[in-house]
Amino acid sequence: MGVTCVCQVPVAEGKSVQQTVDMLHKKLEQLGAIKQGNFWVDCETYHATGNATGQPSKLLYVMHNSETPLSSMALFEGGPGLTADANFDVLMVKLKSHFQNAKGHKVESRGTRYRYCDFLVKIGTVAMSSSARGISVEVEYCACVIPGDCWNLIKEFMQSFLGSSTPELPAVFTNKAEGLYTPVDCMDTMSQYLELFGKVRKQQVLPGSGVR
Amino acid sequence: MADVMNVGVNLEAFSQAINAIQALRSSVTKVFDSLKDGMKNKETLEGREKIFITEFQDNLQSVNRDLNELERLSTLVGRPSESHPLHNSGLLSLDPVQDKTPLYSQLLQAYKWSNKLQYHAGLASSLLNQQSLKRSANQMGTSAKRRPKVQPSTLALPTQYVDDVISRIGRMFPDMSIELFRPNGTSAVLLVTLGKVLKAIVVMRSLFIDRTIVRGYHENVYSEDGKVKHFISLHVQVTDHATTALLHYQLPQMPDVVVRSFMTWLRSYIKLFQTPCQRCGKYLQEGLPPTWRDFRTLEAFHDTCRQ
Repeated sequence: MGVTCVCQVPVAEGKSVQQTVDMLHKKLEQLGAIKQGNFWVDCETYHATGNATGQPSKLLYVMHNSETPLSSMALFEGGPGLTADANFDVLMVKLKSHFQNAKGHKVESRGTRYRYCDFLVKIGTVAMSSSARGISVEVEYCACVIPGDCWNLIKEFMQSFLGSSTPELPAVFTNKAEGLYTPVDCMDTMSQYLELFGKVRKQQVLPGSGVR
Repeated sequence: MADVMNVGVNLEAFSQAINAIQALRSSVTKVFDSLKDGMKNKETLEGREKIFITEFQDNLQSVNRDLNELERLSTLVGRPSESHPLHNSGLLSLDPVQDKTPLYSQLLQAYKWSNKLQYHAGLASSLLNQQSLKRSANQMGTSAKRRPKVQPSTLALPTQYVDDVISRIGRMFPDMSIELFRPNGTSAVLLVTLGKVLKAIVVMRSLFIDRTIVRGYHENVYSEDGKVKHFISLHVQVTDHATTALLHYQLPQMPDVVVRSFMTWLRSYIKLFQTPCQRCGKYLQEGLPPTWRDFRTLEAFHDTCRQ
């Protein structure tokens, strides 16, 4: 439970996704990070049916995170979100008449989890229909819950192994109504992942996916 | 050692009383024995009854006599000294295995030694204060008569005074809140919440700080059993530094100044994540932000950068 920053690392020139991931692993291990197992984050898309005509149907995203294996998070893009327990998926099945699952749009990120002092680093391969599309890196600083306080610290850490791919302060924190100095919650992490998955989907547009 | 403590007990009367109890027991047994045996074999019924009743009366009278004797002796025995000098620890003196575990005698010696030490330390400090290098004349110079005066003990302060001092210090700093609890007896336990950065649990003994534990702002400190493994190394290091600080700020005669200095030092952690190290200029060193705060200047340093 700490401040998280999720960013996408571009695939290195002339290398495959797996090779870039291995390069990042090596850099982390040189720093002194310890491998601590695997992680996964996935996201399923649901269309809201029965909407008024002419309006594009709203998309509901249901996400899971291995950090909180007993929870499901449901959110609208840029809108409200909720956290529920794992039975939420079963509930969505029961709500078939209102929300339809877009089966081909499931995106997930799987990879290894490293721990360096109080930092948790998760490097994952973003895959959609089992084809690797990109690399996601999540850095969590467990000691602090205020993003405004520790952003410089996290940035310095990310620079040490990401080099030039270090991102700026995530928009989810700057867009908060209460400002940068309120405590984070798991919804912020999920919103960041959602943004990243959205970008990955747009990168290589599949034929027939005219929804987004 | 036991003789010295139980001065109020008359040992002679004590042993006589024990004998009297034995005599009483035997006479009561005789009564019940004679009842059990019943009437002895004699010629006539009246003869048997008379002898039986006479015997019974004799036995009861001997019981009465023994009981009176016992009561007389018990008044002579006296009570052991009621006021234990060490309250409940005085009950340790009842331990029969005195040579294997001489706890009570050692305890008494330890207390006497520490009391003497405190007395001597008070005398020494009042003497040394007079030899100050200040040139201004103050009322210390005329205390030739008052020299052996002992300073009042600061270990047994009334709880109301401690509460007042703590609440005054809490009001001094607007971004630091101090809550006072007394979970076990008179020692205060303070929960200091520093902005949204960290929480510190400070255990006190009257107005002296005994121990501190530092936790994260988001961690649950209320159901702590002290055995939870800390997994955020930053807080472990800040706890170490806080312990160093409470050992550094020492002033036995003015404990409220000590508490104030400690709180001022702790408050410098409000920008724990935002300040770079003064020496190397970076935020992180081996994954930790600058956790050391200099005791005089309150500047931030990494633990490895500080000396």
